[in-house]
Amino acid sequence: MPVEPPPPPEVPDDSSSQALSDALKSSFAIVKVLMIGLVLVFLGSGFFSVGPQEKAVILRFGRPVGEGDKMLLGPGPHWAFPYPIDEVVKIPVSQMQSVRSTVGWYATTPAMEAAGTEPPPEASLNPAREGYLLTGDANIIHVRGDLSYRIKEPGLQYVFKFANASNLVQNAFNSAMVFAASRYDVDGVLTRDFAGFRELIHQRLTQLIDQQQLGIVIDQIDLVAIPPRQLKERFLAVGEAQARRGKLINEARNYESQAINNARAEGTRRKAAAEADSRLLVASVAAEAERFTQLLPQYRNNPELFMWRYQTETFQRVMTNAQEKWLMRPGQSLRLELDREPPKLKTLPQRAAEPGH
Amino acid sequence: MKYNSLMLTLGALLAVVLGTWLCMFQVRNTEVAVVTRFGRPTRTIAQPGAYFKWPPPIHKVHKVDQRTHNFESFEQVLTSDGYNLLLSVYVGWNINDPKMFFPRFGGSESKAQGSLEGLVRNAYSGVVGRHPFSHFVSTEQKELKFAEIENEMLQRIQADAQANNYGIEIKFLGIKKLGLPESVTKLVFERMQSERQVLVSRIQSEGESDAATIRSAADLESAKLLADAEGEATRIRAMGDLETAKSFKVFEQEPALASFLLQRDGLESFLKDRTTLVLDPDTPPLNLLKPGATTPKSGK
Repeated sequence: MPVEPPPPPEVPDDSSSQALSDALKSSFAIVKVLMIGLVLVFLGSGFFSVGPQEKAVILRFGRPVGEGDKMLLGPGPHWAFPYPIDEVVKIPVSQMQSVRSTVGWYATTPAMEAAGTEPPPEASLNPAREGYLLTGDANIIHVRGDLSYRIKEPGLQYVFKFANASNLVQNAFNSAMVFAASRYDVDGVLTRDFAGFRELIHQRLTQLIDQQQLGIVIDQIDLVAIPPRQLKERFLAVGEAQARRGKLINEARNYESQAINNARAEGTRRKAAAEADSRLLVASVAAEAERFTQLLPQYRNNPELFMWRYQTETFQRVMTNAQEKWLMRPGQSLRLELDREPPKLKTLPQRAAEPGH
Repeated sequence: MKYNSLMLTLGALLAVVLGTWLCMFQVRNTEVAVVTRFGRPTRTIAQPGAYFKWPPPIHKVHKVDQRTHNFESFEQVLTSDGYNLLLSVYVGWNINDPKMFFPRFGGSESKAQGSLEGLVRNAYSGVVGRHPFSHFVSTEQKELKFAEIENEMLQRIQADAQANNYGIEIKFLGIKKLGLPESVTKLVFERMQSERQVLVSRIQSEGESDAATIRSAADLESAKLLADAEGEATRIRAMGDLETAKSFKVFEQEPALASFLLQRDGLESFLKDRTTLVLDPDTPPLNLLKPGATTPKSGK
């Protein structure tokens, strides 16, 4: 019996299968577009830009792309494969970084600092809360330091070799401060040699940075050093005493220059007077000698007459000049009041004193 | 059919992603990877890059941070001369042998730091206890052993870490804080206070004595200047006298006349002003007023 070939499997429903296939086709197209879109987004997310103060390194599967200096990407737009293939590590090379050392500073809060207030000083310092430095003469002072630094090019050390480089920088700074304070006396830090103290910190910190290969460059160190707040007045008193000493010494110096100038002037005056006296004497004696020389022939001519003439002439002149003249015979007595009043007072009303002569 | 091929592609992609995720791993350039087979470490990979492995549970990858870590510790110690010091050090350490480190600490850095704490404590008592207080702080450069103490502690901890096979390396150590017990700070304040007092009085007396020294030196100097000037003046006068002596030679020709003239000048200047004269009427030429008087000299 002829076996009828089975009827071809019936296409379930021509129109419905058509619709399904259409729907599949269109959804397939949508998926395609979506996938292409996703791929584009995926690749596009690999764009990144490096700022002007940065460098960047691409790690492909964890390994830096490029050798030596070539692995460093400069400022500008760049592209890397997105995660998990590539990782971009940025290095802020020329950007200023800063850390603050407060191991030597009393306990305070940012809010208090902003308000410019400080906690009241206590009689002792609790080591868990309060920071301070011990100086070489076993005194206590407070020093706060601000360090500005830059990452030394290329900066790979700083980024890849340390779990927390800025923390280590801060500790190196702390250590340098403790080191420097331990060999300075309290007045050396606070007044006498503050610059030297800072220089020593700088020096020690440079040394530590080299030893620990932190790969940074110190830009600036700012320090504030104060005596313990518990002894503020005492330290002020020393400052005042110093000011007083300065004043005393200045006054003495003034006195010194004045006294020496006066002595010099007086000396010059005396010398000048001596000079003048001496000249006058010489001149007058010379004049005297000249007169003598002129008179000598006359005198020699007739000494007695000469003498008499001159005597009389002199007498005449003296008598003319004399204010009061008294003639007395020998044996007559004269009473003299020695205590004559000064001439100025003569204009005053007459005194009772009798004018005894 | 297109639909199937799409499904196939998607499936393959998923399989590749899953396979990659299970059988590949990355080692970053800051890390070292330790691969364990059924829990036993078989190899360590220090070179960064991408690597293959068997999927878990056959192989497992543990990553160990190779960077230098910061560890700090704080302790009260007794110096060899009996002072209590509060010492705080920081240590830079890293993992240098992951094969040793890994089984010891299970890859945990915090566990390692716990052991490190013990090492540092040993170094405190072992090293610091051998130094007097003046090795920590002193104004004498010779006394100070600050850097030496740091070095000794570092060497001690390095040696201990090595001996214990921790697989870690201590790179550096620094003292970051040096303090005194709270009760001692009070005493220090008292001492500082009296030091200030002494300083104030010393500065004061120094100022006074310095000023007095300057003043008396000035007095001395001005007296000397005056004396010099006086000497010079005397010399000038003497020179003048010497010069007049030449003129006096003239008078020697006729001493009688010279003495007469000098006396006359003297008398005249003596009687120049506001004089009261009391005279004997016999004094020439007043005797002319007397009757019968004659001038004795002109009569000749």
